Amino acid sequence: MSDDRRSESGWAVGRDGGRTDGDGGLTSRVDSDRYSRQIRFAAIGEEGQAKLASACVLIVGTGALGASLAQHMVRAGVGTVRLADRDFVEFSNLQRQSLFDEEDAAQSLPKAVAAADKLRRINSGVAVEAHVVDVNERSLPPLADGASLVLDGTDNAATRLLLSDACFARGIPLLYGGVAGSQGMSAPLVPGRTACLRCLIGEGDDGEGETCDTIGVISPAVDFVAALQAAEALKWLTGNRDAVRTTWLTADLWPFRLRESALPEGNPACPHCGGAARPDAGRLPAGGYGRGRDSKPVPGRRTAAPVAGTAVRFGEAGEEIGGPARRAASAVQDAGPIEAASLCGRDTVQVTLGFPLKLDEWRETLAARGCRLTANPYLLRAELPEGEKLALFPDGRILVQGTTDTGRAVALCREYVVR
Amino acid sequence: MQLRDKNASKAGLLEKAKQLRELTARYGVPLIINDHPDIAIAVGADGVHLGQDDMPLGEARRLLGPERIIGISTHNIGQARLAQAEGADYIGVGPVFPTGTKPGRTPVTLSYVSEAAAEIRIPFVAIGGITPDNVDSVLEAGARRICAVSAIVGNADPAGVCRRLLERISRYEAARESSGPAKSCEVTVNGRSVLTDAGTVAELVAQYGLLDRKLVVEWNGAVLARHEWEKTPLENGAVIELVHFVGGG
Repeated sequence: MSDDRRSESGWAVGRDGGRTDGDGGLTSRVDSDRYSRQIRFAAIGEEGQAKLASACVLIVGTGALGASLAQHMVRAGVGTVRLADRDFVEFSNLQRQSLFDEEDAAQSLPKAVAAADKLRRINSGVAVEAHVVDVNERSLPPLADGASLVLDGTDNAATRLLLSDACFARGIPLLYGGVAGSQGMSAPLVPGRTACLRCLIGEGDDGEGETCDTIGVISPAVDFVAALQAAEALKWLTGNRDAVRTTWLTADLWPFRLRESALPEGNPACPHCGGAARPDAGRLPAGGYGRGRDSKPVPGRRTAAPVAGTAVRFGEAGEEIGGPARRAASAVQDAGPIEAASLCGRDTVQVTLGFPLKLDEWRETLAARGCRLTANPYLLRAELPEGEKLALFPDGRILVQGTTDTGRAVALCREYVVR
Repeated sequence: MQLRDKNASKAGLLEKAKQLRELTARYGVPLIINDHPDIAIAVGADGVHLGQDDMPLGEARRLLGPERIIGISTHNIGQARLAQAEGADYIGVGPVFPTGTKPGRTPVTLSYVSEAAAEIRIPFVAIGGITPDNVDSVLEAGARRICAVSAIVGNADPAGVCRRLLERISRYEAARESSGPAKSCEVTVNGRSVLTDAGTVAELVAQYGLLDRKLVVEWNGAVLARHEWEKTPLENGAVIELVHFVGGG
């Protein structure tokens, strides 16, 4: 396995972000032929191109928006493109998720891995990192380390709020994009210049509203929004920071309608955009994580980190998990409570066990229990006799497809995996 | 009081209407007959209530004359606007909640109550599945009049239920009074001109039932951060867009 493959295994996250700290020798990586048309664009030029080569971006979510964003960043020659995604490719993705093909879906490859594979063929000069991981408050800090900005390719508000908090704590922009049906929205959220996402949309626990899984989505709407985000990323990364749009843009392609509204400045009373409202924001190397309200993971203790949708923690309020069999397994005993979150509109529940899974061992166990299996180096899929499907990831996550009931999902995981 | 009996024969209905007219006249309660302007005229009822599929409003008005009350059931803001424009005296807004009185009909939810409260100037009556347990949410959404069928006639103590419902309505009316005289303001919300008694952007959002939703508010061309909603008074001519956060990716 190559170094890259090791980082793809998920819970052991990533490389260091060292390449963004200096410019030494990186200019030589600029391929003047490949980038000639981009360099000819006056606002970028040789200087901007060199800045792109030394930059690192984090793209959270490698689905529709994320794949399109990643392609823009990789073709443009951003030095390090870091992809983080918890999901795997399915046939229903192919209509709009531009980096994937039928083979990826047939193999159930993790989206981050399948995307990275294509991206490396598009531009081998870019360090493409694939992280098969659920982005939450525990996994985010190392992913964000060294990133010059974060591109939003997520499909839910909870993760976006988490990204907003982390970006404002670090003084780096979050380029929000969202899409559903024929509609899209995008806003660059820039510490020191605009309010954070929390101050704009609030924290109402009203679910996700309309999503691609409930009202569908057309591919042009995806690319339209991704293009808006990518353009602002290029401005920021090439040093054209004053050119970054500070408006909230709302578009509908069908029927066509476009509206743009100025974004407010940070709210002085907000712990995220108030405290970060400093003139040098975004120009400092990434500072320590932990200034944000929710940002500090407590060592040795798993905190509740709702990922998306409605998060439920099991094992609290005296609920017994697993019984004697579970207590006998030492790996399990050290772990915290099992967490389960229903993924909005997906008929899927994500169960987080809190301990790593050895896929080879589970492959044998589940086969012996009559499950039909599909395996690749990154995940193991099992069709249960009950009808639901499990996708086991080495980082201790199980996607339970075929139910929205977190209780049932946890029960199935207990039945087949935890015992 | 409204007489509504979808299963009775016309003769049976006329008999019930006569008896109710006597009773309601004794107590000074207005009587409205459902669906049948001719029965309303025959028994001297105060008015008639129409459904969307009944006699057109103009026709009923011609039969009943200018004085009698005509109300009509509406299930969305478009029907409400039309009823108001055609001279209805009041509208029904519902069914707010699922109800056995109208089985199979999809509830219009509290958000339609809020829309009606924000926009409709003639009296409106919220109806459908309203009980003493959920009436607060309906009044909170902006209703000042409610109609109950199952909750009253399906209870062993109809008078008690009525008293409880009345008590809730009175309490909300008192709160309305004490918060000072309503001042109305004409603003444009999502491209439509709206007359509202909301004092602030936050109150306007609340009237639409959207306060706990992930929402972006645009105020005269700029996004208004949430903490500004309460501090921003509505002013005549303001242009407001309420935009649901788009979350897919």
